[in-house]
Amino acid sequence: MAFKYKLLKAIDVAGLQVFDPVVRLCYGEEPKLQLRRIGLFIVIPLLTLAAFVALWAYVGPRHKTKAGEVPSPAVVLQAGQDTWRFDAWEDTKAADYKRAGQDREQALAAVNARIEELEPQAEQAAAQLAEVEDAYRTQLMEQVKPLYDEYRQMRVDFRDESQRREAELEDRAAHLSGSVAEREAFLDALREHRQWEEGEKAELAAFKDQIGEIEDAKAPELEAARAQSNDLGQELQYLRKRRDQLTSDNLSLKLADAEQRLEQREQAFLQASSGEEALSLANQILAEEAAMERIETSTYAKPWTLPDQIMRSILCVFTGFVLASIIAIPIGILCGLNRVFMAAMTPLISLFKPVSPIVWLPIVFIIVGGFIPEPSDSALLDFFNAIPVLGAYDVNPAFLSSAITVALCSLWPTLVNTALGVAAIDKDHINVARVLRLGFWSRLVKIVVPSALPLIFAGLRISLGVGWMVLIAAELLSSSEGIGKFVWDMFNNGSSQTFAQMFVVVFVVGLIGLLLDRIMIVFQRLVSFDGAPTAL
Amino acid sequence: MKRLVTFCTSLLAAAASFAAPLEKTDLKFGFIKLTDCAPLVIAKEKGFFQDEGLSVEVVAQPNWKTLLDNVINGNLDGAHMLSGQPIAATIGIGTQAHVVTAFTMDLNGNGITVSNNIWEEMQQIDFDLDTPFPEHPISADALKPIVEEYLSKGDKLQMGMVFPVSTHNYELRYWLAASGINPGMYTKTDVGGRTDAEVELSVTPPPMMPTVLEAGNIQGYCVGEPWNQQAVSKGIGVPVVTNYDIWQNNPEKVFGVTKKWADANPHTHVAVVKALIRAGRWLDETDASGHYVNRDEAVRILSQPNYVGADYNVIKNSMTGYFYFQKTDKREMPDFNVFYKYYATYPWYSDGIWFLTQMRRWGQITEPKSAAWYAETAQKIYLPDVYLTAAQELLDEGLIEKDEIPWDTDGYKPATDAFIDGITYDAHDPIGYLNSHQIGNKDFVGTTAGN
Repeated sequence: MAFKYKLLKAIDVAGLQVFDPVVRLCYGEEPKLQLRRIGLFIVIPLLTLAAFVALWAYVGPRHKTKAGEVPSPAVVLQAGQDTWRFDAWEDTKAADYKRAGQDREQALAAVNARIEELEPQAEQAAAQLAEVEDAYRTQLMEQVKPLYDEYRQMRVDFRDESQRREAELEDRAAHLSGSVAEREAFLDALREHRQWEEGEKAELAAFKDQIGEIEDAKAPELEAARAQSNDLGQELQYLRKRRDQLTSDNLSLKLADAEQRLEQREQAFLQASSGEEALSLANQILAEEAAMERIETSTYAKPWTLPDQIMRSILCVFTGFVLASIIAIPIGILCGLNRVFMAAMTPLISLFKPVSPIVWLPIVFIIVGGFIPEPSDSALLDFFNAIPVLGAYDVNPAFLSSAITVALCSLWPTLVNTALGVAAIDKDHINVARVLRLGFWSRLVKIVVPSALPLIFAGLRISLGVGWMVLIAAELLSSSEGIGKFVWDMFNNGSSQTFAQMFVVVFVVGLIGLLLDRIMIVFQRLVSFDGAPTAL
Repeated sequence: MKRLVTFCTSLLAAAASFAAPLEKTDLKFGFIKLTDCAPLVIAKEKGFFQDEGLSVEVVAQPNWKTLLDNVINGNLDGAHMLSGQPIAATIGIGTQAHVVTAFTMDLNGNGITVSNNIWEEMQQIDFDLDTPFPEHPISADALKPIVEEYLSKGDKLQMGMVFPVSTHNYELRYWLAASGINPGMYTKTDVGGRTDAEVELSVTPPPMMPTVLEAGNIQGYCVGEPWNQQAVSKGIGVPVVTNYDIWQNNPEKVFGVTKKWADANPHTHVAVVKALIRAGRWLDETDASGHYVNRDEAVRILSQPNYVGADYNVIKNSMTGYFYFQKTDKREMPDFNVFYKYYATYPWYSDGIWFLTQMRRWGQITEPKSAAWYAETAQKIYLPDVYLTAAQELLDEGLIEKDEIPWDTDGYKPATDAFIDGITYDAHDPIGYLNSHQIGNKDFVGTTAGN
């Protein structure tokens, strides 16, 4: 029984109250009530989610623009898989570069076998595609050619008729008499002619639109053939690159070559007869040794892929968040403690709070750039890159600018909440501190901060949410590697998967935001003694 | 046997690396998502950088301004740049910094696309355009009445280009001005270049072009591939003319680095240029019947999401010797992208001077300059010495043929009149060239200002 309550407490603290009825049901506690709660907290949300997906699947593909159509859930899933496959492929290429000995030979054999298997398939697919394409083109031309001819004839007729009418009108104008009625009649005739012209033009345009519709009509067979040929071509390209990574570009082979060269030089050096030759060879040996060292530490330059970018974004938001907290909590405490300080800070807070990240970023960029004149030789960057996990994700000026922008936009909720929390401390607590004659620091650490903690954490939670939202925009603008850069790059690709990839990002960002929020809830619960509910 | 051969070449490479220790081996280059970034991408993917002992990362940049800033502030070692960028940066149009180039990445490769509506109106106006296969090149003559109609309504036709000093800006202006349409002048106070404009040009990053065209903010644009083919395949616009028709074999992108970087890393610079020359050569390799043998693979590589990332079919439409003007209008254009032929990769002074004349013609250079100034400025930016050192090493290593490089040139291409309006361009006489145009700034022949 004790375990049950511990479990329930853990669930509560972790902010996973939705599972509370499940646990209670397992222990057989009021099954009816628990079932009702499960229905309310679990079944209904799931149903809503399902309804949303169903609606999306129905409406999405029916909403078309020239740039594409809203992707269906299946297409989005495919895009997500492709994005992750790209990452896996790049990881494999990086691993291939480092493979040596038997491992390398086995991998090479597997790659070669797969290439041999795929090559005929790809050839066949390409041939089939060419055939389908030809067939489509001839069929389209057959369909469209007579229409174009007809259109051309219409156009010619229209031109001739128009010229004839205009000549007639010209002639009539030349012979106009002085009578008002005749002149007005002429005006009407001209008006009528213009109307007729407009009508004819509209007719021509409508006819042409018909041709356009035929040309734009989708050819599912052609698209399928294209997709098939593309998939095979893509995989072959990947396999061929792997083959290079396992043979001519392989680290172990390059090292072996370098070693062999070094040995030869060393032997030649030992047998060198003249001083000049010996010096030259000794120099060469040193150069060769340096080259070997370089090869040994070299890695495959893997491009940024979404999983890495997600990791970097999370690190970036936390860097900004820590920065924001370091600034906001002390200032907040001072504001809460001292009314004069609060009055002094109010205009600054009110002025800067509503400023958008898009405005902050260029300003921050210039300021950060001032501190880092030479990115390859900067103590500040070296400091950040020496931090264990962070360093692996290449801290550069763009990263710092994004983090600082996040900090600037997200410090306000923490600041305001801290000030509020400190100002609202029970007078009794302060009086106790006075009686005990606590110094400023002990008062701060023992009384002020602990009683303000729940509100501080409520502020931090909002700050992290704001920071996460701001980060994507900041990365996009500063082209700092991360989710924001991924969004911008994929949008710029303008490929058939672009829109689906945006949806993938929506879910990734949403899920991570949810996760971050849950983490903050846990902290918030841990420091609240009153057990106050923390909303959703 | 193969092992022995690689061994021998690596010995050679080692000898070279002994002669020239690299100052920096981990490099980061920027590029914009355009098919003409191909030499950079290919040099990386086909291992040409690795052969030189370089480990290179190539990173997509969001727009030309950010790319240039990143090169200048040292976040990037070098980048795929518009030909006008090193020139403008060096003479102080926009961000001032001494940027140099030793390698021209490609010739041609741009197109002017107009929206479907404008195309239909042009067809209404010009009877001959109203067929599925109109005769090329198409001039802006049929556009002029539309421009005038817009003006009479108190409106101006809006067109997009990618950067104030981009080839695209000058090509679009050239095409419009050749038909008597004033694209507007830059002045000291008007850095947007819209003074007296009949058509207003504005900057849009290349990948945004189709979106902005479809949204109706602009009625046409001049941009590199694959963004014209994208318009064709999505049915949102019609490419009317390629820059090959505006000026045959015009210089397009260069590989730019800062002067500071080039001075600090001379051997690395040569090594990079070597890899790029090989990449250009690989891209332009043809079989006996003149078909490109490696372009399909190049397209496959470029369509990866971390490079150009557009669909394989879209990139392929312009890169394999063809160009689609409309869905049914596919034409052979073997020279739409030139990466190596015609001494394309050599950094010609005359190319630099052409861009300078255009900057003066449209007022970006606000004061008249002397002919000597044009030549001196080009020599400050283009580094044929670096190029020729790299080429010599490649020749010694047996990787290129002797006749593929213009060894003894003075850096000036012969005068040419292969422009859409037939005006002759002779780089030795920039002022005369300037004065031969109807629209744009004209200078006195005897001018000595700027010396």
